[in-house]
Amino acid sequence: MTLLINLLAIIAIVLMLLLLTRRLQNGRTIPLRPLTGYTALAGQLGRAIESGRRLHVSLGRATLAGAANPTSIAASNVLDRLAQDGCANATPPLTTVGEGTLLPLAQASVRRACDDVGRPGDFEAATVQFIATDTDPFAYAAGVTATLQQNRIASNVLVGRFGLEVAIMAEAASRQEMEQVIGTDDPVALALATAATSNVLIGEELFVASAYLEGRANQLASVQLQDILRWLIILTILGLSVYQLVT
Amino acid sequence: MRLKRGIPVVIAVFFGVLTLVGLLVPLPEISNLLLSWGGFLAAVALILGVLNLFTVHITRLFRERNPYSGILVFSMLAVAALAVTDSAAVNLTENGVGSVFNLVQAPLEAAVASLLAFFLLFAGFRLLQRQRNIWSVLFILTAVLILSSNALINSALLPAGASLVFSQMRNTIQDIFVTAGIRGILIGVALGIVMLSIRMLIGLERPYNK
Repeated sequence: MTLLINLLAIIAIVLMLLLLTRRLQNGRTIPLRPLTGYTALAGQLGRAIESGRRLHVSLGRATLAGAANPTSIAASNVLDRLAQDGCANATPPLTTVGEGTLLPLAQASVRRACDDVGRPGDFEAATVQFIATDTDPFAYAAGVTATLQQNRIASNVLVGRFGLEVAIMAEAASRQEMEQVIGTDDPVALALATAATSNVLIGEELFVASAYLEGRANQLASVQLQDILRWLIILTILGLSVYQLVT
Repeated sequence: MRLKRGIPVVIAVFFGVLTLVGLLVPLPEISNLLLSWGGFLAAVALILGVLNLFTVHITRLFRERNPYSGILVFSMLAVAALAVTDSAAVNLTENGVGSVFNLVQAPLEAAVASLLAFFLLFAGFRLLQRQRNIWSVLFILTAVLILSSNALINSALLPAGASLVFSQMRNTIQDIFVTAGIRGILIGVALGIVMLSIRMLIGLERPYNK
């Protein structure tokens, strides 16, 4: 029975996603509410280019071989966009990762961006750096802090799965008066991030990065479907609460 | 070109659906096999990461004469040498790598972790400077309350009555407000993960096709 319910739910979500994608491809549009994190990203990139300094992007420490894979995929969507814009201006973002499987993903992202704009020579080995494994969060924080201090960095973008160590990284960037954008799905890290910067991507806001930064029909449809499912969950919770109160 | 871009999509969708079937049905043999492949790839990726770390820092050592890179390169080589001498084949040292970890790395990580409370308070005060509104004040007050209540509740500095009040306030904040907030965030995260995962399963999201 559980198998049937799960299968039906997955099929229903897929069908709805395809239906909403088709509607958007046929010309319908959906408004996206402004998110300060994504608005800030555009401004930070421009200021970095003008000042001749680089963006630093860190993708967190969630392995692609684990359950937190989607968090890292969402973070890599942010890197894709920043890499494209950075490489077009001969300043590819300095990228650090806290887990081994994220290294080839980040390297492919930045290398592809450099190739697309016809500047393959801008990609160097040091452009994407592995700092520490996911089991050493404070070593990761120390490595990122050193990277921020030893390079000419204009803005600090931390997107992906972080833990308590985000406080150390954010503090290091704040001391150097860098603008920051922090996006993570960990509630503890979010609390620390909120203290460090106003440009925070809270939980699900990280997973809509592709819709905000690229805006293809299937990505926008995904955001719309997420909103619909969220309302369904809210109504279910309220309904069950009222039912529990009454009975 | 289309074939070159299509093959990774087919592979990803096939193995994604296979993993889903293995988890739904359930067929632990399939799930375990694919998970073991994933673990093996993660281990190989770790080796690549270590090589990347070494390459970046040895380049920085010789090109920029960076002393910190020199210390890192030396440490990597020293621990690698210790791992060789610890091995049964060589057997020159006993638990050398473990000793380095216990005497060097663990204390350093503990020292960095111990600074977290100070970082949080500094960040909080900087938040007050950056935006002076009721939410910033509430953030600081809550952080100070939780930190001080954890420290004072079981100490002799507070009378029993005050200790009880502090404890109840802390439990109310943690059990009601914090739990509610975290659950809301996690529900949203779960929705985001479901949507992104389904897009990857049906080939709409292709992070591997760069």
